[in-house]
Amino acid sequence: MKAVFGLLFAMLASACTTTTIDEFRQGETGIESHESIVLLGRRQGSNYETRSEFVQCVGDRMNRGGDSINVIPEQEFVDAMFPWFEPRTAPMRSTDMQLLMDQPQIAAKIADYGIRYIVWLDGQTETSNRVGSISCTIGPGGGGCFGFGSWEDDSNFDARVWDVNTFVNVGTINADATGQSYLPAIVIPIPLIARVEANACSSLANQLKQFVYGN
Amino acid sequence: MTVQGNYPSPNITRIPLTVGVYYDEALKDFAYIEYTDNGKEEYRVLSGPSHMALFGSVLPAMFDRVVLLPDPAQAGTAGVDLVFTPAIEEFQLALPQKTRLDAYEVWVKYNMRLTAPDGGYIADWVLTAYGKTSLETMRSAESGINDATISALRDLGSNFALSFTDIPDVRDWLNSNQ
Repeated sequence: MKAVFGLLFAMLASACTTTTIDEFRQGETGIESHESIVLLGRRQGSNYETRSEFVQCVGDRMNRGGDSINVIPEQEFVDAMFPWFEPRTAPMRSTDMQLLMDQPQIAAKIADYGIRYIVWLDGQTETSNRVGSISCTIGPGGGGCFGFGSWEDDSNFDARVWDVNTFVNVGTINADATGQSYLPAIVIPIPLIARVEANACSSLANQLKQFVYGN
Repeated sequence: MTVQGNYPSPNITRIPLTVGVYYDEALKDFAYIEYTDNGKEEYRVLSGPSHMALFGSVLPAMFDRVVLLPDPAQAGTAGVDLVFTPAIEEFQLALPQKTRLDAYEVWVKYNMRLTAPDGGYIADWVLTAYGKTSLETMRSAESGINDATISALRDLGSNFALSFTDIPDVRDWLNSNQ
């Protein structure tokens, strides 16, 4: 029994996540209390799109705490700016923002929201190295599962920060989180899930906060 | 299933004209039917009302006034400058269980027609729209199809609103009539 618990503890300890944050600063930043930012997911690619749940997760975390930053909800912003931030029409370069701000209605709405920075989030979580198998049986006397499964998750997200006042990309932050998950089944399956995307979200949000404040 | 969603109003410069819009029965009642491999009806996607809702949101932002025409023959007495008639030419639905991709996808091909109040030709062009939504654990197929269709309709609305004055025949007509 001790050996089983030892094995479970070892797997629990190893079902953790490694997160690496890289920051590349290209300009000065800073934000006033009356200013806000908006986080937008890139969705122009055909093979993947940045999940809105991840964008919301980063926004919620930036909106928390004593050093919180006012984050405009993504869908509210995209609807208010329609049709300029749809997957096919969204500006791809920070200099494109200058052309967009020539539209009086867009400039007025950006000013109304008090937006200082537009942050583009681009990335996804991929699962690889699935191994193992679990079989379950059920009979008159009861049922149960036996086996073992394991897989690796890798979340890689870029955050590009555009300064709305200067139309310059002031920096890029990359969050890369990896983790191994395990699913041993001894009568009942016991999921030991590495919270890879959640860790990428919290690490990226913390770094983005510091970046925007200019720390 | 009936596609349900809301469409925002575009932020674009209005054209100082009155447009009449005519939806024919084919568009009003448009339904796409997806069949199983053995030919049984799997999904019936009714999107006609949603298309009308989209144009109902987009056209008032593009033109000074919009008049809904029950019959294009009434355009002459309705005081409109031009008549817009959208038509769906093709609708395709890609389901994850058939494509093995992690997304519901919708692709639509439209024919957009502009005529003068007397029925004379102004412009006739094709627009395509694409929308997708990712496959998620707790999402039903109906919800996935609905969201992908809404995404395609938003794509149509944005493309239509932004490219309208760039259509060569439309641009020529506007230059000579404004």
